Amino acid sequence: MPPSIKARYPLTWRVMDALEWLADRLWPRSMSRHTGWLLIAPSLIIVGSLVVGMIEIADTSLRTLDTATFRMSESYSLANYQKLATSDVYLTVAWRSLLGAVLTTALTLILAFPYAYIMVRTRSAAARKALLICLFLPFFIGQVVRAYGWLIILGNDGIINQATGLIGLDPHRFLFNFPAVVFGLVQYMLPFAVLMLAPALTAIPEEVETAAKSLGASWPRTMRHVVLPMARPGLIGAGLVVLTLSLTDFAMPAMLGGGSQDFIANAIYDQFFRTSDAGLGAALTLLLVMGGTFLVGVVLSVFGAGTLAAGRRA
Amino acid sequence: MISASQRFWFWAIVWVSVVTLSAPTVVVLGASFTAGNIIAFPPEGLSLRWYEKIALARDLQQAFLRSLIVSSICMLIAVPAGTLAGIALARYQLRCFNGVQMYLLLPFTIPLIGSGIGLMMMFGRLGALGSLWPVGFACAVINLPFIIWSVSASAAQLDPDLEHAAANCGAGRVQTFLYVTLPAVMPGVITGSLLMFILAMNEFLVSLLLVDARTVTLPVQIYNSIRSIITPDLAAVSVVFIVMAALAIAFLDRLVGLEIFLKSK
Repeated sequence: MPPSIKARYPLTWRVMDALEWLADRLWPRSMSRHTGWLLIAPSLIIVGSLVVGMIEIADTSLRTLDTATFRMSESYSLANYQKLATSDVYLTVAWRSLLGAVLTTALTLILAFPYAYIMVRTRSAAARKALLICLFLPFFIGQVVRAYGWLIILGNDGIINQATGLIGLDPHRFLFNFPAVVFGLVQYMLPFAVLMLAPALTAIPEEVETAAKSLGASWPRTMRHVVLPMARPGLIGAGLVVLTLSLTDFAMPAMLGGGSQDFIANAIYDQFFRTSDAGLGAALTLLLVMGGTFLVGVVLSVFGAGTLAAGRRA
Repeated sequence: MISASQRFWFWAIVWVSVVTLSAPTVVVLGASFTAGNIIAFPPEGLSLRWYEKIALARDLQQAFLRSLIVSSICMLIAVPAGTLAGIALARYQLRCFNGVQMYLLLPFTIPLIGSGIGLMMMFGRLGALGSLWPVGFACAVINLPFIIWSVSASAAQLDPDLEHAAANCGAGRVQTFLYVTLPAVMPGVITGSLLMFILAMNEFLVSLLLVDARTVTLPVQIYNSIRSIITPDLAAVSVVFIVMAALAIAFLDRLVGLEIFLKSK
């Protein structure tokens, strides 16, 4: 008996036919206008979990903790927000976070600008590659391991103190103070800032600088009057991202601050996991989210989504 | 041309940055090979004893395994969803395009502590805390914009006529997608997957919020151990992260070239 015609088709053809048949049943061609929405739906749903989370936080922030039963109240009130507004503790923490974030931003930009400039302008491909690797390696290693490295270097029994001990100096306490946290944040933020600045510097034609110099401007004047103004969108964008990320950071204050230098995120963590006052923690979280989202919203609306924008041909 | 004095000052600052960026990595690598019981300077000779020790430590191994599981779950969720979304954003006309784009950037605009607490409450209500998939899901959510961005950058470069040609030759929609669209965006998919894997592997804060004592991931395990005394076994564990980061960079460089991050729009 001869084999049926159908069996002689390769298997992949038949699988493909079945898939096409299935696609036509599940998503008829008349719907193809909406295919874009079909493709994007999973991501919309996944990100929706953050919206659900925000609603949960908002709901909890309006309930107060009953200290007798350790249960959250059934009724809503603004008591948590009142408590936050009148408490000196949170004002101190908020002030410390803001000061830390502003200092971090300034120092990071001072370090990031020459780095990005040299990386973009250098003629040596090898130097450029090496600078890029120095940026990506710490970025991919993660905060915890990097903070651990700094503990080894700067700790009371750390490498520096042991080395200075050899020449008879008394140990110096580098860690667990405010400058240590700011330092930790700066080294953590540097890759972000450089990677946001570099495209802005690439966009500045080198001829503009040459022109300024041929007209007699020294390099500091060329920087101040030509390059910095032209790089301003990149500088402000990088600055705001560094500001928000360091304002809301948890790991550096926790690991290099040693518990005495809490930022807002650490205070939130303590409310949930030490004091167990979820209502107060949620109110604090919501205020931070609103502040942080506002800052990033400013970045996105002023500069567009930049490199984060979907790669759409304009 | 960069003048000599400018070169001097700029390179001086760059060297400060390079040392600051690299010092923790170098020191952790060095400390992991020490022969002594504590991390000392000058080092007390070379040995692999701490690697031997972590090879026998069950808690570290299990934390590492859990981190791998979390990363895999993160990729399983984020790679398909992000790929489809990246293609949709680059190739389909969507209404309220800007609104959709802003919405998909929510994981970046909401501070991590906020996302983490929100997801913790949501999964707590669902009674899912204590297993690993919520951690993987959370890592997928907070890093989703990375893969959407990398896929849509690839998709934007695909000539739409290629898809039309495939359809013209009789390919159906599924076939066109599998044989034309998907291969074209593959570089973006692989770059994005790599980022998702390494970021989920490293994720600390969101892991810390979503794990309990039985499900700690490796970064959380390291963080918890640091609290007590600093011993070289943690340095040996950290080398795992350094090796993975180096591999990821090598892949990324081969695949798309690191210089892509310098391009201006």
